[in-house]
Amino acid sequence: MMKSSEVREQYICINCGYLYDPSQGDGMNSIPPGISFEELPRAWVCPLCYASRDDFDPLD
Amino acid sequence: MKPSVSSLYQAVELQQEIPPLLIGERANSNGSKKFRELLLADDFEACLKIAQEQESKGAHIIDLCTAYAGRDELADLTRLVKMCVSSLKAPIMIDSTTPECIEACLRLYPGRCVINSINLEDGGHNIRRICQAAKRYGAAVVALTIDEQGMAMTAEDKLRIAKAIYAIAVDEFKLRPSDLLFDCLTFTVGSGDEKLRDAAIQTLEGIRLIKRELPGCLTVLGLSNISFGLAPKARRILNSVFLHQAVEAGLDAAIVDAAKILPLARISQEDREVCLDLLYDRDGEGEGKPLMRFIDYFSDRNVGEEDEAEAVKRTPEEQLFLQVVNGNKDEVGDVLPVLMERFAPLDIINQILVPAMRHVGELFGKGEILLPFVLQSAEVMKRAVSFLEPFMERIEDEHTTRILLATVQGDVHDIGKNLVDIILSNNGYTVYNIGIKVGAETIIEKARELKPDLIGLSGLLVKSAIVMQESMAQYREAGLDIPILLGGAALTPKFVAESCVPNYGGPVVYCSDAFAGLRAVREHEEGTLVSTVFDPAVVGEPLKPGRKERSISRTNPVPEPPFLGQRYVEELDPELLFPLVNTQALFRGRWGYRRAKMGAEEYRQLISEQVEPIYQGLIRRSLDEGLIRPKVSYGYFPCYAQEETVMVEVEGSLHPFAFPRQQEQPHLCIADYFKTREEGGDIAGFFIVTIGERMGQETARLYEADRYHDYLMLHGFSVEVTDALAEYWHGVMRSELGIAGADPTAGGSLVSQNYQGSRYGFGYPACPDMEVHKPLFSFLKPEKIGVSLTENMQMVPEQTTSAIVVHHPQAKYFAV
Repeated sequence: MMKSSEVREQYICINCGYLYDPSQGDGMNSIPPGISFEELPRAWVCPLCYASRDDFDPLD
Repeated sequence: MKPSVSSLYQAVELQQEIPPLLIGERANSNGSKKFRELLLADDFEACLKIAQEQESKGAHIIDLCTAYAGRDELADLTRLVKMCVSSLKAPIMIDSTTPECIEACLRLYPGRCVINSINLEDGGHNIRRICQAAKRYGAAVVALTIDEQGMAMTAEDKLRIAKAIYAIAVDEFKLRPSDLLFDCLTFTVGSGDEKLRDAAIQTLEGIRLIKRELPGCLTVLGLSNISFGLAPKARRILNSVFLHQAVEAGLDAAIVDAAKILPLARISQEDREVCLDLLYDRDGEGEGKPLMRFIDYFSDRNVGEEDEAEAVKRTPEEQLFLQVVNGNKDEVGDVLPVLMERFAPLDIINQILVPAMRHVGELFGKGEILLPFVLQSAEVMKRAVSFLEPFMERIEDEHTTRILLATVQGDVHDIGKNLVDIILSNNGYTVYNIGIKVGAETIIEKARELKPDLIGLSGLLVKSAIVMQESMAQYREAGLDIPILLGGAALTPKFVAESCVPNYGGPVVYCSDAFAGLRAVREHEEGTLVSTVFDPAVVGEPLKPGRKERSISRTNPVPEPPFLGQRYVEELDPELLFPLVNTQALFRGRWGYRRAKMGAEEYRQLISEQVEPIYQGLIRRSLDEGLIRPKVSYGYFPCYAQEETVMVEVEGSLHPFAFPRQQEQPHLCIADYFKTREEGGDIAGFFIVTIGERMGQETARLYEADRYHDYLMLHGFSVEVTDALAEYWHGVMRSELGIAGADPTAGGSLVSQNYQGSRYGFGYPACPDMEVHKPLFSFLKPEKIGVSLTENMQMVPEQTTSAIVVHHPQAKYFAV
């Protein structure tokens, strides 16, 4: 049950406001839909401003 | 006969059968907020009650202190002493440094009391007068080991000063050795200050030496200083363990809150060991320093400990500490005068303010407080230091680490550097902030002149990262080898490790924020600072996002511009911009109000109750004061692509805009989005937008006035409003080109690039080179709207942005 809510959690880039939505994935970084933020590779960066994962906040 | 003191009702032996003698500390205007407030309200009955209550908690003697700036100490203390004569069973300790007060109380008091205190701070004047009075009225005396050079830190100094006091009190004034209670002073082992690591050891050894070398004399200690800066529950345990150790070393009496002393038997063996490790600075078993282990060990014990009663009992030291931690600057002016009666200004800074800021930094590091609150703490620190400075003989301590700070050549951005300045200088370091646009030659010159221990370089733009890289060899050739700290948005650990570190002899360290800078400075002091290393095996090469399509459509239609050439727009309502402000980036990024460890509801509350009102306030203020004056120079121009260059035609002449191409797949270049001459040519849009110079002036004013928090707020706001203006104007141009598409102004808070085409800012990832500003300025002529160019192609004022507007549907952001 925890898992499914985690997967749905959206993360926002504090630098540019880009929203990572697990249900959409991230085509710019070849991330398919269904990948939670936590499952993104360590080296993943914001597709718009290249901020690192540390610069992401849970949306709400 | 055993040395004793007495009231009308009873005699109390100074050397208790089971030591120590407990001296109640709460009836003290310096030590108890509650007592002080009652005193200020002239409620002497309630003051007396505080004195009486301590008796029932186990105090043998009650300390009385009424010194407070603006009050008549003599009148207050004699009044209270008179009341105690008939209403307090325990003997009293007269706590004053004023000989007149002491003499007046001695005359009044029918028993034998203790005077607190004498020392050699003034070279021996007051001590003689007080010893004379003590002899005449038969009082005992507390003697602090302080002389003209200050408070004795080492056991040897404590003994030396005690001997000097002994010579005056016993040899000269014929007091008995047992009339003297030596206070060896104790300093906190909880601040992390290297110089105080052995503070407990020195104090305990001091007690032993005095007991051995000055037979017959007694010893006393103000206990609670030992744990200053630590959490309340942990303090109580540490104080109790320390008291036990001190008694073993020969301590006769302790000034304490009697209610807070725990019997040793009630402290677990494990707790005791952690306390002893800290007190004796032993490594014991386990990792890390004893202080870190102590804090970790007790970290889960202090939640919910403090109740109201505890709050009113805070000492001035604790009050100041909490004011810094809580960012409450209103009452600093009240508590500092109280502290200055007992501490030298430099000691207040080093033993209270700096540990408080250190604590704030730790909380920030753990994600427990946010940047704006750290800045408020720094403001309290700054205000306190400014208050103390006039009373300090030497402001510059030769022992403090010194850091030279600069924003590098050609870069006008100073917020990052200034935040580092704020954090470092308010953690007690000496910072030479030599400004923006500083060339390597000047940095070398200043480094030779000021002899800093470290250099910190900052720069926002991609170009600045290159400048840092290129200057490394210059610094090496100039003979510098002190550590260089690098910070800036365009830097990565990989870039620093691979492109900067190899070109310099000393450590080169990537700092992701001001606190990373602070950590690096501390590591330097501890001798553990090393260059940044980048291990791709650990982190992995950063991904390079972007569309991976190889072919860019060559057949898209070229839109019809409404005009060709350049135009100015100098009247624009600022209110149009606010709906486009990226409030997420503003609140979370620029301002640092991140959700971090907060729950969703708590964060929503923070945003709606604190952050949103700040934002609305800034909007109102900038409208009222005319801080935002949007102006635009823009135009549409015929052009064609020729390899990586876009040739832009303006009034018959060609201006080449050369753009870089990605090194790896899919090898994108901005020029690819434009048709070649053979394909029939294309249309390019350009703009330069500014919100004017008033914002820059106002942010500079706030920084100068040490209003750090307001500075960060207004600066972030100005940057995001500038970006909103660019976004707004990009929308205008898209609609003029007929490619507006769906609502271009939808949802200012979430970036989606959900429209046709793109704008690429000069100096940013797709187009890091700023040289193109030269041709751009030649035909957009933004000087008329108040925008000029630095020698390194940056625009002034800072709140200005420029871009090329590309209409191609496949054009999206990418980095080269």
